[in-house]
Amino acid sequence: MPGAVLVAVVALGAAPAPAPKAPPQRIASLNLTADEVLVEILPVERLVAVTAASDDVGTSNIVGRVPPSVARFRKADLERLVALSADLVVVSEYTDPDFLYLLERSGLRYHRMEGMRSLAGNRQAILDLGTAVGARAGAEKLVARYDAVLADLARRLDGVTRPRVMYWASGMTAGGDTAIGALIESAGARNVGAEIGVAGIGNVGAERAFVADPDVVLIGVWPGARKSLVEHPLLSRLRAVREGRVVEMPTELLVTLSQHAADASWYLASVLHPDRVPRSRP
Amino acid sequence: MSAARRRRVVLGLALALPVVMLVAVAAGSVPLPLRGVLGSLLHGLGLGIGGALPPSSETILWVVRLPRVLLAAVVGGGLAVVGATLQSVFRNPLADSGLLGVGAGAALGAVAAVRLGWAGTTFLALPLAAFAGAMAAVLVLYALSQALGGGTLHGLLLTGISVSALAAAGTSMLLVATEEFRVKTVLFWLAGGLDGRGWVHLRIGGLVMLGGCLVLLASARVLDVLSLGDEEAAALGLPVHSARLGLLALAALVAGAATAAAGSVPFVGLVAPHALRPVAGSLGRHLLPAAFLGGALLVVLADLGTRVISPNVDLPLGSVTAFVGAPYFLLALRHADARR
Repeated sequence: MPGAVLVAVVALGAAPAPAPKAPPQRIASLNLTADEVLVEILPVERLVAVTAASDDVGTSNIVGRVPPSVARFRKADLERLVALSADLVVVSEYTDPDFLYLLERSGLRYHRMEGMRSLAGNRQAILDLGTAVGARAGAEKLVARYDAVLADLARRLDGVTRPRVMYWASGMTAGGDTAIGALIESAGARNVGAEIGVAGIGNVGAERAFVADPDVVLIGVWPGARKSLVEHPLLSRLRAVREGRVVEMPTELLVTLSQHAADASWYLASVLHPDRVPRSRP
Repeated sequence: MSAARRRRVVLGLALALPVVMLVAVAAGSVPLPLRGVLGSLLHGLGLGIGGALPPSSETILWVVRLPRVLLAAVVGGGLAVVGATLQSVFRNPLADSGLLGVGAGAALGAVAAVRLGWAGTTFLALPLAAFAGAMAAVLVLYALSQALGGGTLHGLLLTGISVSALAAAGTSMLLVATEEFRVKTVLFWLAGGLDGRGWVHLRIGGLVMLGGCLVLLASARVLDVLSLGDEEAAALGLPVHSARLGLLALAALVAGAATAAAGSVPFVGLVAPHALRPVAGSLGRHLLPAAFLGGALLVVLADLGTRVISPNVDLPLGSVTAFVGAPYFLLALRHADARR
């Protein structure tokens, strides 16, 4: 009988379909975005490692969600990954290629999250991660909520006057093709960094920032961020600073590239357009 | 310095190095049993004795630790030999590869690779760019010193300082213009380290460093003649200018490869020859082998320190060697003052 099946397959000119690869069961995450996605779409028993940053209040959106039994990584430690027998290591776009080479040489499979410089890019990265870990349905569910939040936001912000917002972090700003630029635009604003021609996260300098004259300055909630702005000899004279339009965004929302990026957009929109967007989504 | 004592010192270093390397491959964030490691190494060398560790431990040993520790030894040995060579060429016990602009040039190359995005996407881009930067700095140094000072020692020294300063300025400019998330890569590299280094780094970098060191060791007699002074060396029939340039080129090659492989690892080229000169003597044929072993021992121990002092944090290798080297120099200074 098996021989007959084989003959039939050959006769049809089709190769037998390869056996589907079993989804990984021992997944190690080396980036916080992956931590935030995986904790939602996987049973925790399938996680063998997350980043230590997942426990940091003010950095992570999943504080307290990962049990202590899951290993914490402060750095990409290949030896511990091998010892944990991880069958998939999730790395970021910026993981050192030399480290990835060693991962492969150690027989460890990896999935690289990339393209997270736009809301669409984040969305695709979540779906790709879901596919890589064998939890596509969970990822689609996350993305459906993500899409719903952003669609609701777009509807509420339709026709709104968009203020010019400039992100500021120690002389750097977010230009075009950045996640923070996408956050600003999705929250119903114009990204000053992109308008003045900055590409990526780039240096803008106090004088250019002053001349750009943004309506709002966006900063993260980290030590000294506001102080460095209001005590700066030139930046303190910015119209936005003088008129008190400095938005301090919770850092865990400002830096997230996971599904929480939609919540970040909602938060910023609620600050910029309180008449259109309530602080909590109904 | 008696020949017997000198031999004992070199023999002691030669015996200590493999022992320390064995401990270094056994220790780390996942400890491996020393006896098991020895057995696996002997088995892997095809000696018909010993046996394999469990698979995950075998992977850690053979893919991660062994190439890293071997590279640490070669980098340390190479930097120490370069230091000893330059100290003889410049007749200055404080000379090291920094005088040739190697470190500053390598840093500029590495930062450029990060700024241009190559380091994040291309395998080996960072070390290769660093090596190219180091070699470019040395070529600029050579061209300028020829044009301005006729290639004298004094001219080389001053030109080296200028080239290093220019490269450092370029590095700072690129760093300021580099995105924050890429800066960390640069800082780790600038601070020195062997994390993520494997066999391929050892094959490429090790070949250059070991080859360069062997030629320098073979040139030890030339070095000894040069250290007598230009006029004496010329009187003995040595083509002083070309001999010096040849030695400097070799030293730059070895130092460039070491810096490309491990980033900035300061003080090794100063401490190892300086510490061993009183026991091994100043003659190149005695000092260079001892310096190689001493430098190798120092960097293997320092790298071990980066892994065991704080397993969760990337302790920079360069900081550890500086923490050892700086106090050593202060103690040596105090000792020298006390003897006066």
